[in-house]
Amino acid sequence: MSLLSFNNVGISGLAAAVPQKIINNYKHDLYFNKDDIQEVIDKIGVRERRFADDNTCSSDLCFAAAEKLINEMNIDRNEIDLLLFISQTPDYRMPATSVLLQNRLQLSTSTITFDISLGCSAFLYGLSVAYSMLTAGGIRKALVLDGETRSKVYSQKDRKTAFLFGDGGVAALIERGEQYSTSWFSLNSDGSRESLIKIPAGGYRKMSSCETVTEKVVDEHGNIRSEEQGYMNGADVFNFVIREVPRDFDRLIEFAGVERNSIDYFIFHQANSYINGFLARKLRLPEERIPTTIHKYGNTSSVSIPLTIVSELSGKLNGQKRILLSGFGVGLTWGTAIIHLNDCFIGDIVEV
Amino acid sequence: MEEKLIEALAEALEMDRSTIKPDGVFRDYENYSSLTELSVLAMLDSEFGIEIEMKEFDSLKTVADLVRLITDKQKS
Repeated sequence: MSLLSFNNVGISGLAAAVPQKIINNYKHDLYFNKDDIQEVIDKIGVRERRFADDNTCSSDLCFAAAEKLINEMNIDRNEIDLLLFISQTPDYRMPATSVLLQNRLQLSTSTITFDISLGCSAFLYGLSVAYSMLTAGGIRKALVLDGETRSKVYSQKDRKTAFLFGDGGVAALIERGEQYSTSWFSLNSDGSRESLIKIPAGGYRKMSSCETVTEKVVDEHGNIRSEEQGYMNGADVFNFVIREVPRDFDRLIEFAGVERNSIDYFIFHQANSYINGFLARKLRLPEERIPTTIHKYGNTSSVSIPLTIVSELSGKLNGQKRILLSGFGVGLTWGTAIIHLNDCFIGDIVEV
Repeated sequence: MEEKLIEALAEALEMDRSTIKPDGVFRDYENYSSLTELSVLAMLDSEFGIEIEMKEFDSLKTVADLVRLITDKQKS
């Protein structure tokens, strides 16, 4: 059983950046007429989202968020000993984007840097790695940068994904300190479901070629994409999530031995409003404790949990708070975390 | 059970319940789509406590098959 607990380590601050360009989904009728897309948008609840321009990468969004965080919290850059970059839209296949960010952020060359390639659950995985390495000692501060430009991954001619995804980047500072009490994590994976959300080509199993970048009609509905664009079997994912996410939620609550009522906020991966609404009802959670950003930022993959915290909980995290995080998606991987916060700094969202 | 399922299916698919028959092939209903399929899966979970793999769900064809699924799962 992959259940973890940590003492005396926590998130001391969070900042986020989103692209300036706003996509109004109801007017996003490049390839589909407005009547057809209305039903889709009403169900998924994504009214707006942000699209990065051709020159902006996940790392640029994270860089802007990190600069905001470091400057506003007056962090000594020399004290950052660990930099994690979480993304499935890195700058290059090599080198790792985290190393580029070490240089851009003018961190010491003794900084530990590496990338974590996971999707919607990745912020939890990244936090657990940072918490573990901080607990091992020798690291003063850790910077977890989590960015995605999913707008560049999915075809705008495939209605199953064309209206869902958006871009964003966050920076989280993790520190040790007696002001932080216990945090708990449950992390899971099921590779037998690898084909449910996937970009089939462009890696080393099926390398990039003229064929893999050619757009094709892929189903009877006339949806169009290339093999280097992502697809998602929404019903299969939904069916899995509504079964496994509540199960993991209950498992972690039991492991932690905490009362549900003692949790101030429940922050779910912003998958779509239909899934999120169903999970909230199934788990019988109070609506006022479930912040959401799906309507304005869409599904930003791993970024959606911390972006929702920055966007919706600014001014609400003074003093001691306990929050529950739930992430699930591509892999499939999923996880739940209950973390303790104490006067967590939240920066204003930066537009890039 | 059949009445309860037909009522829940009608609500999930936003159809008049009188148009839903036991021998009806539910995927052929006009309102059935990749979007309303989510509502059907949600209904099976929340109304009947059915947890089902998609492979099994995809093998079900008629409304009567859904009724049988629920009856069998509730027996076991």
